[in-house]
Amino acid sequence: MRNREINNFLSRSILTTLLVITLSLSSSSITHAAVHTNNWAVLVCTSRFWFNYRHMANTLSLYRTVKRLGIPDERIILMLADDMACNARNKYPAQVFNNENHRLNLYGDNVEVDYRGYEVTVENFLRVLTGRHENAVPRSKRLLSDEGSHILLYMTGHGGDEFLKFQDSEELQSHDLADAVKQMKEKRRFKELLIMVDTCQAATLFSQLQSPGVLAIGSSMKGENSYSHHLDSDVGVSVVDRFTFYTLAFFERLNMYDNASLSSLFSSFNPNLLMSTAYYRTDLYQEQVEKVPVTNFFGSVMKTIHTDSAYRATSGKDSSWVKYDVTSGQSDDVDARRMTSSDPEKQVDHPDIKLVKGGGCPHADWWNAIVEKFQGIKNGDMIVNYGLVGMLTLVAVSTWQSS
Amino acid sequence: MASTPETEGQKPKHRPIVRIGIFIIAHSFIVSVVCCTAGVLALLLLPVLAKKTYVSENALMPGSAIPMITDQDVSGANNFINELTSLNLKSQSLNIEIPRLIALHMANLGGEVSYHMFQNQPNKFHPLHFFTSTDTEANNVNQTCESYATNTVGIIRAPRGDGKESIVLVTPYNPVNLSPNETLSLGIAYSVFSLLTQVSWLAKDIIWLAADSQYGQYNSVAAWLKDYHTPSFGGFGKLHDDECHISNDIATEVSDTLRRAGTMAAALVIKVANTGEAGEQDALNIYAEASNGQMPNLDLINVVSYLAVHGQGLRVQVDKLVSLLDSTWLKFIGEVFETVGKIARSVNPQWKFGISVKEYVEGSATLVSSLYNQALGVPTGSHGAFRDYQVDAITMEISPKLFSNSKGRQTELFRGGRLVEGVIRSVNNLLEKFHQSFFLYLLTSSNKFVSVGVYMIAFLLLVAPLPVLAASLFSDTIKSYVESEKNEPFKSWRWLYPTKTVFLVHLWGAIVSLLPYFIYQIPDSQPTSRLLIWASLSLFILFVLGSFFRARSAEWALLKSVTVSSAFIGLCLMSVINFATAEIGALLLVPMCLMTKPWRVAGKVQSALNLVLVIIGFPGATFFVVKSVFGFENGSSLVEFWYWVESLWAWNSATYIYICMVHLPCWVLCIYILLHPC
Repeated sequence: MRNREINNFLSRSILTTLLVITLSLSSSSITHAAVHTNNWAVLVCTSRFWFNYRHMANTLSLYRTVKRLGIPDERIILMLADDMACNARNKYPAQVFNNENHRLNLYGDNVEVDYRGYEVTVENFLRVLTGRHENAVPRSKRLLSDEGSHILLYMTGHGGDEFLKFQDSEELQSHDLADAVKQMKEKRRFKELLIMVDTCQAATLFSQLQSPGVLAIGSSMKGENSYSHHLDSDVGVSVVDRFTFYTLAFFERLNMYDNASLSSLFSSFNPNLLMSTAYYRTDLYQEQVEKVPVTNFFGSVMKTIHTDSAYRATSGKDSSWVKYDVTSGQSDDVDARRMTSSDPEKQVDHPDIKLVKGGGCPHADWWNAIVEKFQGIKNGDMIVNYGLVGMLTLVAVSTWQSS
Repeated sequence: MASTPETEGQKPKHRPIVRIGIFIIAHSFIVSVVCCTAGVLALLLLPVLAKKTYVSENALMPGSAIPMITDQDVSGANNFINELTSLNLKSQSLNIEIPRLIALHMANLGGEVSYHMFQNQPNKFHPLHFFTSTDTEANNVNQTCESYATNTVGIIRAPRGDGKESIVLVTPYNPVNLSPNETLSLGIAYSVFSLLTQVSWLAKDIIWLAADSQYGQYNSVAAWLKDYHTPSFGGFGKLHDDECHISNDIATEVSDTLRRAGTMAAALVIKVANTGEAGEQDALNIYAEASNGQMPNLDLINVVSYLAVHGQGLRVQVDKLVSLLDSTWLKFIGEVFETVGKIARSVNPQWKFGISVKEYVEGSATLVSSLYNQALGVPTGSHGAFRDYQVDAITMEISPKLFSNSKGRQTELFRGGRLVEGVIRSVNNLLEKFHQSFFLYLLTSSNKFVSVGVYMIAFLLLVAPLPVLAASLFSDTIKSYVESEKNEPFKSWRWLYPTKTVFLVHLWGAIVSLLPYFIYQIPDSQPTSRLLIWASLSLFILFVLGSFFRARSAEWALLKSVTVSSAFIGLCLMSVINFATAEIGALLLVPMCLMTKPWRVAGKVQSALNLVLVIIGFPGATFFVVKSVFGFENGSSLVEFWYWVESLWAWNSATYIYICMVHLPCWVLCIYILLHPC
């Protein structure tokens, strides 16, 4: 009887240790298996001076577009290096236009600029990306993304071979950008990242990127210039760049519920109209751009998580998701219902991996065993007590053995 | 291993650079001939090497905005012109009435108006104030109110600007004798001023200076600029006695104290030419040369010519030497370059450096005029006053075909107004001073220029033989000396004797340059007598100096070596101050210095050539030769030469100093060498 009890204690204690190990294992396995939970946008205009009016207009236009497609202001970091609206040379005080018809004022009441003027520096930009801020920086100026975030990073300004000029005084180099992205990846600050750059030789800025989950679009290849689209002879400056103009033209046709794919955005760029060749870097991106809707980055539409109980949804570890997209229309509802009927415990996080049956994976087996044990145990205090006694016994046995 | 016995036998080898130097010095004659020829050839090639101008500063964006000037502005300007004309016909005291009328209109348009009163400052030669502005002396105490001239200044404050910068419009007019051209230029400024009081895009303040040019266009602007830049503290702001002010019936709006706006970013002097040329197009003449060959930033000229050509369809001209257009030798050279260009293109279609004969001749005529104007060091208009304060300024002279009828005048107003508005809007976009484009350049046409990097080559090639020749002469003399008598000490210091002579002659040059100050103290003298006094005094001093310090008659070769060195140093120094002067000076001085040789040693041909060179090299003779060849002015008297020299020192031209302290001494030394007894 005594032996039997010891055996029981031993098995219980081993079980507890295993439980701890399993928990740690499952939390590490979650890194590449996060769910798309939110969308962020970092929109950067890096150039000063009146004659760079168009860069501010570019950024504000993108800002307007992503807001229209559903990213809330609190999740947009807008960096504007100069204030054209209040420039003394602006014929229309406090207004910024991206078109010579002057119908749409981009600088209306509901524009929240997070970094303005001389705050837009390479240092601050990298701080925003990597999340290393001074303590005093308010939450509104931080990129509070997590492992489930899709981030749109849009930059415009004057650039060259592997650099982007900031503020006429410093420059962001391609390896700086790659390093920041790598840090973000390490710190699990994004799930997927779309970098869109409208500058001369934009493609060169992506050459050092290595982190998975990154998609890059540049307005021009190496050795090419990016051009402005048209001159507003009333304001006296060029008001928008070609690449951004045609990007906006693409998005103007969309609403929040359209599911145009990224590849349709890519194919909408006509080199003759751009006067440069748009460049896409997709080798770091696991999914097929034909199947990814643009609203994955430019909007805030994400997969919903259907859970049976509120508790599970917040735990994050055993939460499961349903292959279901609101944007894909009504037909998906049926699909969703079908999916939700299946056992939530058996869902796998990554969409590419098919359902894993019990026994197929040791991790899942362990998990099921533990869960069954848990369900078998009625009294929680008992486990703790047994565990403590078991550990004491282990200590005693080990000291006895060693002596 | 095999080579060691040979190298041991030789002297230790010098470094390659030293060997090259020795080689060049040993072949100094060929080097001199080649370099001089190349220098002259490079100078002739400059019109071919000229590049197209381009607006270098991104911020300028000329022509990106459409002109906003309206019929209302122009009709207002038309009325203003009519009022001026009628006032000109009936009124008596015009030098008070016209400024008052202008001030009234400026105030009505919404500008801040103030008068600036100044007195005539006669140009005097102050030897100790060279290059510095003469301080206002209190010599104007006993002058009456009539002797005051009145500039009218209107300022538009930029509505949202920071008030730290400004753009200046200048319209010179003579209130005593107001010509229709001047009224038209005032009208153009009025129309622009009228527009700019209403626009919302100004980032720099606008200053309209209606400059009273009864004492000269330059003087009025210079006087205003001086007061503008002289800080006044407390009650010192009132410049003149109260009794001399214009009685002020425009209520309180006209200020007596000098009003200021920010630092000046650029200045435009607007003029209308007297007679329209017979061209089919209206033309715009651009004058840019300021004192001592300083030029405004090329971007300003680019903006104006771009807007004039592309915006208003004007034909833009820069000053050119008309008499050169028909010269046959220039045409011949042009043809040579054209054929060379054609041959080159047939060899390789990529080489495109040939230009047509007509282009070459016109380019050369403009280049010569540009060189001459810069070399003279006298500003070509009132824009020169701005350059003394490092403000970029040009004169835009519109020469219309006809504007006698009111319709023609209206279009002229429209066109001029649009052009000035465009330039102002472009300069208004500027974020810093003009700095992006060239400051050192020569124009070969309104849209072609030769930059400093190109034209310096011609000069450097021209002066390169001087140090080579000096070194070669020196080493030859020392060598022959060593061979003849070996026991005298300090043989390498023998160059000190000729140096003393050279130094004395240069000292004489400095004294000569100061003599006019004393000549001016002689009352009631004629220019001719002044010139003669100057010449005789100079000669007298030269003989006195010569007899006092009777130099040991040194070898002519050493003397020539030192002379050549001093000429080289002088030319190089001058090229930094005023390139054009140095270039023209080098053309005269270098052959003279290289060729000169005692007539007993030299052959007959060389002596004759030397004589010709020395005669041409004398500044006065050069003046007459150049005048007769290029036909600058007619009448060749001593008086004119005196006036020419007078103008040089009156405008603080460094050319005067160069002539007296570099050219003249070298000329005297060349004659000394020529007459050397050996």
